[in-house]
Amino acid sequence: MTMNAFVTNDTLMLQARGIEKTFTLHQQGGVRIAALSGVSLDVERGECVVLAGASGAGKSTFLRCMYGNYLATRGTIAIRDDSRASRHVVLTEAAPHEIIRLRNTTMGYVSQFLRAIPRVSSLDLVAEPLVSRGVDEDEARARACALLERLNVPRRLWALAPATFSGGEQQRVNIARGLIAAHPLLLLDEPTASLDAENRDVVADLIVEARERGAAIVGIFHDEDTRERVATRIVRLASAGGASVQTDSGVWQTC
Amino acid sequence: MNALLKATRLTKRYDGRGGCVDIDLEVYPGEVLCIVGESGSGKSTLLNALALRSEIDGGALTYTTREGEALDLSTLAEARKRLLSRTEWGFVHQNARDGLRRNVSAGANIGEPLMAIGARHYGRLRETAADWMSRVELDAARIDELPSAFSGGMQQRLQIARNLVTGPRLVFMDEPTAGLDVSVQARLLDLLRTLTSKLHLAAVIVTHDIGVARLLAHRLMVMKDGRVVESGLTDQVLDDPQHPYTQTLVASVLPV
Repeated sequence: MTMNAFVTNDTLMLQARGIEKTFTLHQQGGVRIAALSGVSLDVERGECVVLAGASGAGKSTFLRCMYGNYLATRGTIAIRDDSRASRHVVLTEAAPHEIIRLRNTTMGYVSQFLRAIPRVSSLDLVAEPLVSRGVDEDEARARACALLERLNVPRRLWALAPATFSGGEQQRVNIARGLIAAHPLLLLDEPTASLDAENRDVVADLIVEARERGAAIVGIFHDEDTRERVATRIVRLASAGGASVQTDSGVWQTC
Repeated sequence: MNALLKATRLTKRYDGRGGCVDIDLEVYPGEVLCIVGESGSGKSTLLNALALRSEIDGGALTYTTREGEALDLSTLAEARKRLLSRTEWGFVHQNARDGLRRNVSAGANIGEPLMAIGARHYGRLRETAADWMSRVELDAARIDELPSAFSGGMQQRLQIARNLVTGPRLVFMDEPTAGLDVSVQARLLDLLRTLTSKLHLAAVIVTHDIGVARLLAHRLMVMKDGRVVESGLTDQVLDDPQHPYTQTLVASVLPV
């Protein structure tokens, strides 16, 4: 792999090579589930790559590997880091505190569901990524208000923890939290799944704005309209390993 | 960035067995590390060894001070160890009564660590103590009451104030929320989360509660039978556990 691509190509934000992911379920007799087999991807600034493929093809798994939430079994993922001479960090070899720093400065992630911090208000949840990047608290709150407003989250909910919100409201808080810091690399796992048409449009607008601002985006969108609006490229993951289960005896079965 | 605390093949045995064996770890400034594992896994033994509360039997332990000096903790003179634990470290016990002085007031419990490093001005000590009571959400008007007059959760917050008043860079905590009612525990967790992040505090926290770890820790270490079986980013270890024991541990958590 030619990692100096980050030096020669200023717009390259992420490079994944030969990513394999196999889950070994020790509690279930050591069953192995192959989720990804040899996925490679380059993503540049201003691109929105939409991952497509059947359910079980490993789209979410791939996104989570790129965020460092799942460990890739094989392969390398490199992320742009201009603070280094090599202009990148190899995420798949990085120490935890390096990954935390990358998450702070470079990559944002929106999960399918909000994993809220209990008892923290929606406003503080949304402002937090800015505060942890050193933005003044008042300014962070003001920007969080503006984003929640734009996402049509009712003002009366801002001071409340989102645990009791509807699925759509939680998801919009989640999206606001994921987008507020304007990370140069965004990983979006079905951000529009539980939203009505009007709010889906708002989210699509926000994603297009991020892309036009120069963010590199990788996302999963099941909704055809949203996909049409945001995507600059569609990458289809073959469910090569996804449906196969290997038992400890080494026999491959197809479910 | 340099590690604040670094252990290499750290070993502490009891009666030639048990304890913790060959532990490698690094804690960076501002980083919260949780050590999880069941009773008897060696996690408290490790914590006490790291915090120099017990002699280590093998391996290396270094700490980088505020001034950037790297200290070899295994050969450090007693006086220097005491200074270190007064000026750069804190230690929060599971039971507040082990970390508080029972016969002096709440205010004195907070002021005492400052006096130990030279503060003498009574008015300022009292002011600082009152300020810290408010910061840990205690009523500053109760500054003259004895610790026993406070509830268990409040005593734990008092102990935290006593530990943070000197502005440490690294705090060790041994099951800080165990033994408290769930609602009291929740409030303490919020406080710990806010304080560690606002003060850019590094912490090594021993807990058997995965929920506590998920909420507080940047990083997790999973211990079993005195050894580390898995470590990594908190969300990675909990969402994609690799070791059979970690998988069992994560699968045992009841969803709320």
